[in-house]
Amino acid sequence: MLRDRWMSFAFLAPAVLLLGVFLYYPMIGTVIESFYSTSFINPNPAFVGFKQYETVMGKAEFWQVLANSLVWTVCVVALQNVIGFFVAVLLNQALPAQGLVRAVVLLPWVLPGVVVAILWRFMYDPQLGLINSFLISAGLTTEGIAWLADKTTAMGAVILAAVWKGFPFSALIYLAALQSVDREQIEAATIDGAGALRRLRDVVLPAIRNVILVNVVLTTILTFNYFDIVWVLTRGGPQGATDIFPTKIYELGFGQFRFGEAATYGVASIGVLALVAALYVLAQRAGSRRRRPV
Amino acid sequence: MKRLLTSVAMAALLTAAPAMAQDKTVLQFWDNQQTESGLSDYQRAAVERFEAENPDVTVNVTTIPYPEYQQRLLTAVQGGNAPDIATLDQIWVAAFAAAGAVEDLSEEAAAAGLTKDKFFPGAWDSASYEGGLYGIPFNVDVWQFSFYNAALLQEAGVDPASLATWDGLKAAAEAVTDRAAGRFGVGLFGHEGEDTVVVMNSFVFSNGGSVLGEDGSCALDEPAAIEALTYLQSLVPYAPQGILNASSGDMRQLFLNGSLAIEFWPALEQPTLQKSAIDWGFVNGTAPEGKTPVGTYGGWNLAIFSASPNKDAAMRFAEFLTREDVNGDVVDLVPANTKAAAAFLAANREGPDEIMAHLENARPRPLSPRYLEVADIEVRLAQDVYSGEDVAAAAKKACDAIDALN
Repeated sequence: MLRDRWMSFAFLAPAVLLLGVFLYYPMIGTVIESFYSTSFINPNPAFVGFKQYETVMGKAEFWQVLANSLVWTVCVVALQNVIGFFVAVLLNQALPAQGLVRAVVLLPWVLPGVVVAILWRFMYDPQLGLINSFLISAGLTTEGIAWLADKTTAMGAVILAAVWKGFPFSALIYLAALQSVDREQIEAATIDGAGALRRLRDVVLPAIRNVILVNVVLTTILTFNYFDIVWVLTRGGPQGATDIFPTKIYELGFGQFRFGEAATYGVASIGVLALVAALYVLAQRAGSRRRRPV
Repeated sequence: MKRLLTSVAMAALLTAAPAMAQDKTVLQFWDNQQTESGLSDYQRAAVERFEAENPDVTVNVTTIPYPEYQQRLLTAVQGGNAPDIATLDQIWVAAFAAAGAVEDLSEEAAAAGLTKDKFFPGAWDSASYEGGLYGIPFNVDVWQFSFYNAALLQEAGVDPASLATWDGLKAAAEAVTDRAAGRFGVGLFGHEGEDTVVVMNSFVFSNGGSVLGEDGSCALDEPAAIEALTYLQSLVPYAPQGILNASSGDMRQLFLNGSLAIEFWPALEQPTLQKSAIDWGFVNGTAPEGKTPVGTYGGWNLAIFSASPNKDAAMRFAEFLTREDVNGDVVDLVPANTKAAAAFLAANREGPDEIMAHLENARPRPLSPRYLEVADIEVRLAQDVYSGEDVAAAAKKACDAIDALN
């Protein structure tokens, strides 16, 4: 028995060691660094406690970054999941050339983020872009719209590009979930006279509820930490309109050598993400309690 | 027996080889690659020449793409793996010096005969920090030259020489612009990049203004700077849409396809234009009537890292690379050595005398270890100006932010 326990520890040790070295050590280091006034030009950091948090949170740009991050995450996750779900419903039907259709739908997700960003940058170009050419030829505008250069449209434009890249991931997960829904239940509901919407609401959605929650949590974390599309499209501009936590942290750390402030933003972003994840977990538990038989 | 002897001889050779290699100093040199000019072939030839002149030194050249270069250097310094010698962007020198990451080369440079009069003055100044010399100027260029499409100007009845003054540039931009036809007068750009800053600075410098005053406080809210920023704002109606997300590279695309009459670039733009079908010319920046255009320096210095165990060899290499007969072969901007620059410009650029004059007259960006933070604030100022906000209020906001850094 004791031998088995030691064997278990031995098998677990490499994974724990890897996690400790590559995940927890840098994470704890970041938290510690956030309490120090550190920058490249100040190689002997001074302990400042929460003063750096006060300084960072006392600036309007922190709250702009937080608001941008929330808008960005909520919109991308919502659109990606809704579109992904309906695409999955479509792909779940008997379509001609089904394999080919599924492969084509998956294509945006396979492309690297940087490639997607460059592609959309060309499409949004005010002078040469496809989108503006279409709008001008359709008579909807007389001059190209600078989608990425106007603070009122930039965030929407970046969100659209991210949704285009991300929805196939959600579609793939939902497709797998839909295929596992009990056909007999659906047929029984049909015999009982339930229409398509009723079957979707009362049979399909409850059956894949956990998959939806997991998918939403996963896409929330991935989206909140997304960097490359925003960086290549706008670098957080114009006028900070698309600056989210990852772009801000990169700019502070590697663009301006302000490691302490970058760490403070990093810890704040972990806090926000932990809060969002906790809300999802609570929602999941509440849902489970409601469904538990009395 | 014969096999045994062979084995012993081979073992002796194998053990001797590393010892022979150890006699040589292996110098790690990092450089960034900004263009696709094929420069590395010339650099390789120069390195071979250096190694022939210095048989005790082997140079390992690592070329890193520009977008990654700053991050790689920073990580290397923080991780204790810095190279012996590397090119540093002029705007990083003060920060690397303040961090103690690079050596003060004042004495070594003086001993090697590397003095300010051999280089462009602004380039030399860009390597100076608190009385020390933390780099040897390697290459330079100046923002900006106003490159023009001669056919578009001629069609609009504009004399290219008029672009040298503010009034002339604005009148030309107005005459050329036909937004409905997709034709624009002047290529303004205001994306989150350093090219946004250097162009804005050159307009401020050309009007007698500064970014930072003598005492290090912000001078962007002083009348000369406000006037320059107001002038830049007045050019917006003649620029392509999307200024706030446009770069000099985007403007180049429009210039090359004939949609843009005037683009702002350093002399580095010439090789691209020489390969194009555009009938082009250039003037040295632009200034108010009666004033001389003053450009903003760009370029790179050779810095020797404090952690290097091979400082002597590194200094010899820096001396070699900036020598009159070598400097022009290993740069794709303009050699920082003025004699090498004259020869380089005569052989490779049109209007070499004009370029030399603009280089001699240019000013470096603020020599502050917190320059990168200043530049970030300046980008936001440029975006505020180009998006039509009140110039004085935007400049005041920028100055408050810059002064709060101190």
